[in-house]
Amino acid sequence: MPELTYLQAISDALREEMRADERVFCLGEDIGRFGGAFKVTDGFIEEFGPDRVWDTPLAESAIVGTAVGAAVEGLRPVCEMQFADFISCGFDQLVNVAAKMHYRQGLAVPITVRLPSGGGFSGGPFHSQNPEAWMLQAPGLKVVAPSTPRDAKGLLAAAIQDPNPVVYLEHKHLYRRTKGEVPEGRYELPLGEARIAREGTDLSVIAYGAMVGVALEATEDLDGASVEVLDLRSLVPLDTDAILGSVRKTSKVVILHEATRSCGVGAEVAALIAENAFEDLDGPIVRVTAPDVPIPFSPPLERAVLPQVDNVKEACRELLAY
Amino acid sequence: MSSSPTSGSAVAEVTMPQMGVSVAEGTVVEWKKRVGDWVEADEIVVEISTDKVETEVPSPASGRLAEIVVEVGTTVDVGTVLARIDTTAIPGEPHADEHASPADTGNGHAPPISPVVRRIAEQHGIDLTQVPGTGRRGRVTKKDVMAFVEHQPAEAPLHIESPYREEGPDAAPAGEPLSIMRRQIGEHMVRSLQTAAHCTTVVEADMSRIEEARGRLSYLPFVARAAIAALREFPSLNATLEDDRLTVHDAVHLGIAVSLGEDGLIVPVVRNAHELSHEGLAARIADLAERARARRLSPDEVGGGTFTITNPGRYGALLATPIINQPQVAILDLEAVVRRPVVVGGDSIAIRPMTYLCMSWDHRVLDGALAAQFLSSVRRHLEEWNG
Repeated sequence: MPELTYLQAISDALREEMRADERVFCLGEDIGRFGGAFKVTDGFIEEFGPDRVWDTPLAESAIVGTAVGAAVEGLRPVCEMQFADFISCGFDQLVNVAAKMHYRQGLAVPITVRLPSGGGFSGGPFHSQNPEAWMLQAPGLKVVAPSTPRDAKGLLAAAIQDPNPVVYLEHKHLYRRTKGEVPEGRYELPLGEARIAREGTDLSVIAYGAMVGVALEATEDLDGASVEVLDLRSLVPLDTDAILGSVRKTSKVVILHEATRSCGVGAEVAALIAENAFEDLDGPIVRVTAPDVPIPFSPPLERAVLPQVDNVKEACRELLAY
Repeated sequence: MSSSPTSGSAVAEVTMPQMGVSVAEGTVVEWKKRVGDWVEADEIVVEISTDKVETEVPSPASGRLAEIVVEVGTTVDVGTVLARIDTTAIPGEPHADEHASPADTGNGHAPPISPVVRRIAEQHGIDLTQVPGTGRRGRVTKKDVMAFVEHQPAEAPLHIESPYREEGPDAAPAGEPLSIMRRQIGEHMVRSLQTAAHCTTVVEADMSRIEEARGRLSYLPFVARAAIAALREFPSLNATLEDDRLTVHDAVHLGIAVSLGEDGLIVPVVRNAHELSHEGLAARIADLAERARARRLSPDEVGGGTFTITNPGRYGALLATPIINQPQVAILDLEAVVRRPVVVGGDSIAIRPMTYLCMSWDHRVLDGALAAQFLSSVRRHLEEWNG
């Protein structure tokens, strides 16, 4: 099995879906001639031509809106937001038009919206956000956030083939730092299934995206404690069975995400656990998240805002000792 | 109270108090203060449970609680040092251990019991106070309770491969530990049976006079008054026997058994009962019984009895063989008063309110003739009652 970066795996999935299914096409800012801000679509315009790789104006509402129309007409568009932060400009088309189309008119909207998300590179408040919680409040959307190259490829393929609008969060920090074995050829991983990244019995860390790696590193050797790391992979649908199963096993939970705290995925998972596994808890449900502030440019300030390995270690130690 | 400051020293000792002649030991139930706490003189430092009574022990002096010698649940002899108080300490200083463990907030609340621990404890019938806690502030964690479950002896497993059993009854339920009070009653009763040579003598008494005289009072104060009069005639029954030493008492300190329902039984003592009329006895008994049921008796009020009356008759029983309240030598049992045909005046039959007076006595101290004489005296005082 070849070893690919997270970015290569995304690129592979896209390329293979386009080769196998001519309904699939890409649109976004600078994705054609330039190959995309992060080079995900590097070489695509040469292989597939400008009819299937569109350089669009700087108008996210138009990108998503055009994709919705194309999808209703039977195509499978894949939109790239240059940065996840910019989805706010296309928000109405996403949450009101795409998400509700099936409910209102019975029409499938098989679009995929790729969101290069996350911070850690001094990108500042407009280029570092993790806006997934916004999408969780728009019924009709599916939301995935892979943490490994293998999952990135399989989940993107599944997102493109899914009949629903799918928001695909790809963490920029993982693009070239994370490598892993990726199966060759087309494959899909089911949307809505979490993955146990490491088995454990004493405590569960529930994370997704870039924070899965942080969780694994922080709990690799934590005073001999047996820490389970659950990679959610999919935020909508949420794998409630996997979450509750892990809690029933360990009885102590830390929920970790890079996004801000209030009303985030962590709040939703915590509420789910409190409602369904209260009698299995042996300690408070703990969240490790960014505080409710914009992401600073300054590297030391950004490090202080984003959850670090040491923050996770401290939270886990505290809860283990409870 | 026997907690006393040690003179000429900076340390005052809190000791297990003496509560009447029969109390030899007590159990520490709960510490109201922790080491390092400031304690005012006469402030309650520890709750103890002695023979049948739970009570509080005040501090003999003001100072800082320097050491807890006897942990909760431990039973020690009367006079044993329970804790030491540093009387040279100054109030307001931080505890010595206050900076040692930041996790220990020491706010006096018990550490919380988490939902999963509560559920597991309920499933397995575990008393969580028996489980050593390794969590914050000694909290019992899921691991602690699971380890406790695994090491519990004779716990019937929930599932075995096959539910089929060759023979034999179903697994007995695990049961629950007896309360401290029940355990102490049990120990006391068994010790009495092993110690004394129990005999029971019964006489029948005609309660007609009492029936006429008693008004709204129960029979008990009248029988108590009659028994006290008989004890003055036969003082060797107003006695205590400890080892080989018999003490015949001048004063009658009359124990009255009071039922606390399912919790048990307690015997408060009417001190100097010989000085009281039947009305005075009635008032004292009512007061003691009420406070016994409210668990408000002081230890001194349940010790030091010289003779005991037990009175379960209102439930309709006719005869009983009570167990002597050690170290006393006899116990009188008043059973139901029942209207019965009896021979009166030599050759007539009349319907009279009759009762059996049953007395268990210690054959080591007296013999049957004396017991019968005593009971006959009680009967005479009842049948010839003239207020």
